[in-house]
Amino acid sequence: MPEPVLALDGIAKSFALTAALADVSLELLPGEIHALVGENGAGKSTLIKIMTGVHQPDAGTIRLAGTAVTIADTQAAQRLGIAAIYQEPMVFPDLDVAENIFISHRDLGLWMDWRRLHEAARREIERLGVTLDVRRAASGLTLAEQQTVEIARAISLDVKVLIMDEPTASLSAHEVARLMAIARTLKGQGVAVLYITHRLEEVFELADRVTVLRDGRHISTKPIAEVTPDALVRDMVGRAVDHFVPKAAAGPHGERVLRVRGLAREGVFTGVGFDLHAGEILCFSGLVGSRRTDIGLALFGIQPATSGSIELDGEAAQIESPKAAMGHGIAYVSEDRRKLGLAMALPISANISLPSLRRLLGKLGLIDRRAELAMAEKHRERLNIRTHSVALEVGKLSGGNQQKVMLAKWLETEPRLLIFDEPTRGIDVGAKTEVHAIINDLAARGVAIIVISSDLPEVMALADRVLVMREGRQMGIFAIEDATPEGIMSLATGERPAAAA
Amino acid sequence: MTGWLRSVHPQTLRVTALALVLALVVLFFGSQIDNYYTARMFNRISTSVAIILLIAIGQALVVITRNIDLSVGSIVGFTAYLVGDLLVAQPDLHPLVVVAAAMALGAALGAVNGVVVAYGRVPAIIVTLGTLAIYRTILVEYSDARSITTANLPKWVVELPQATLFSIGDLDIRVTVAIALGVALVVHLALTRLRAARRLYAVGSNPDAAAIAGINAERVVFTAFLLSGALAGLAGFVFLARFGNITVVAGLGFELKSVAAVVVGGVNIFGGSGTVVGVVLGTTLVDVIDNSLTRWALVSEFWRDALLGMLILIAVAADTLMNRYLDRLRRKRHMAELSAGTLPVPREAG
Repeated sequence: MPEPVLALDGIAKSFALTAALADVSLELLPGEIHALVGENGAGKSTLIKIMTGVHQPDAGTIRLAGTAVTIADTQAAQRLGIAAIYQEPMVFPDLDVAENIFISHRDLGLWMDWRRLHEAARREIERLGVTLDVRRAASGLTLAEQQTVEIARAISLDVKVLIMDEPTASLSAHEVARLMAIARTLKGQGVAVLYITHRLEEVFELADRVTVLRDGRHISTKPIAEVTPDALVRDMVGRAVDHFVPKAAAGPHGERVLRVRGLAREGVFTGVGFDLHAGEILCFSGLVGSRRTDIGLALFGIQPATSGSIELDGEAAQIESPKAAMGHGIAYVSEDRRKLGLAMALPISANISLPSLRRLLGKLGLIDRRAELAMAEKHRERLNIRTHSVALEVGKLSGGNQQKVMLAKWLETEPRLLIFDEPTRGIDVGAKTEVHAIINDLAARGVAIIVISSDLPEVMALADRVLVMREGRQMGIFAIEDATPEGIMSLATGERPAAAA
Repeated sequence: MTGWLRSVHPQTLRVTALALVLALVVLFFGSQIDNYYTARMFNRISTSVAIILLIAIGQALVVITRNIDLSVGSIVGFTAYLVGDLLVAQPDLHPLVVVAAAMALGAALGAVNGVVVAYGRVPAIIVTLGTLAIYRTILVEYSDARSITTANLPKWVVELPQATLFSIGDLDIRVTVAIALGVALVVHLALTRLRAARRLYAVGSNPDAAAIAGINAERVVFTAFLLSGALAGLAGFVFLARFGNITVVAGLGFELKSVAAVVVGGVNIFGGSGTVVGVVLGTTLVDVIDNSLTRWALVSEFWRDALLGMLILIAVAADTLMNRYLDRLRRKRHMAELSAGTLPVPREAG
């Protein structure tokens, strides 16, 4: 076995009274892709932050090519050849691609030589096998392109260890493929890639070895040939968990709730039409940028449609604002928990009661705090929100539990049409299964449901029908019996003409 | 019809629009005010612009880092008065020493802002609102109701505003104007060419990314405030030379003028973008309007501040609307290219 580029030995780290990491060891070899998996809270983020100099370990040693080192800060990590890219790309929107790539370089002299800079940037981008205009401002780039810029920045620094922290969480399938190709290219150039992901299929497709963390402890490190998906999940959650089983046939439906025809928003999407029945789950599938979310935003009145018709229970409805949508019994569980969904600094109870405050008004028109707490308690039990108190700030919960709080908030409005946007993005396997169970349960009780999801296995497991979008156009609708992941993808990527559906 | 709009950089569009508005404003006042197109008027306005330009350039450096410096007016007054006092006491000081002293004093006051904002992590608007009042109050206490008067100043200072570097036809380019334009040129070259100066944009564009990219954001922000203070100090000296008689209200309200000049000049108030060319045009526009209004019989002078405020709002609104419009255009073109099938397909890496 070659000598490890980076070796962590017996790393421990505590914050206040909680131990985030205890006795974790990890060796990264040159030219390997090493997957790091674990549920949320397993200590992956803390480990990354120690490797990039954001945190200092309480105990343990870090050796770089055999020499013990201290990584005092992010600059020190860069000097040592350790770089990280994150789920949310860290680019400078106002600077152009080339400057974004070389922003960390210290050795380019006092003055900017723009021509040389652009040429060097073009070479870095080409090394990744991607086409991108290096003079464009980063603000106009897609998420995947911004990530490419970040990777180019890392490798331009002659990186030996590249940490990719859930790089595919927001990417569409063909962007994921491109990212994986980049990872393999880097591996071929002798870089050690540490790849953190929630998607196990990526682990098996990409990784040479896989390390599992659980509750801040190192559970296992194995060559990929020696592990199975089931064993990996068992290691991660410490118990066996069912896989997502693809749905074989559509569930029973009731009356038609929603009828959409020719829905469009100028410059965003066009030609969307479908029916949705009580108890039915309709999934919107498509690549990132296919404008799936925008249809959800239009149905909920955040960005109203500019033409087309929406009928609810056979009556034409004008949905010009979220208030109007809520009046029609529509609820929207947002993908962006931080921006559109939750008030992070407020307690769980206040978040849940927010859209339903009118029903909580007691004497003198003030909010009945006891009723509010009871409301929150009810949902805590029903949705299994893990917290010692509903008075806790939402920001302190894990991603999965935050998602449940958001769901509780909308369930309290008793919607008959629920729109979920990426309901399980960034939450761990166990919580995903729970969220799926909740969605299925709601459908069984007759709620009409739209799920917008990038996660194909999730779509296959949840949907009764699948609507495929591509670049603002509806490409077709599959009944679940006719849907295959390959069929959906070929429509979403445009490999197959729309007429085929 | 809108095709050309897409190919033009937003910043170029903004500068062109500004130049156009400036020309229209000059034409308008030319038709309203007698003897508007004269060398005297040009001198009056250009020497006034020179002072605001120095402050506005410093303000721009700070605003680019996603901060704001409201204390510049007080720094101008403070340095104008103290340097005047120094000259009264020691009239034989070398001019360069005097200028250096003014800039050093301004820099020291700017450094106080910088330390508290960058290292104390207090929002700039609060810190500089505080120092705006504090610096002014210290000046009032120190001055003890005395004024600096022209009679007590050395001859070279009093004559400086009339000193002409060169003339273009009837129009004289005063030394003070040349100083301001020189500073503008240096800062322009630095912002576009100097690697260290690009960090101002990086920090203002995305502070978190700056930290991860290994940029010392605290030092960058501190430096911006330091430079803003130094330039306000230099403006203080020019102010002293131009007016000669300095009381404790010197430079009052300059923070509003400098912010207006910067914002009208297209520096993003949320940081990350802005050019010196824009600031020069923005300052000129703001000051031309301000100076012309004093000559225009129709408008009371109390309206000048309100107009300045309106100008800020219009600039920000126009900017937002233009960006939204360009954004929509871009999206439409994207959709059009998709249906035409002309969008380049990403190449897979091998």
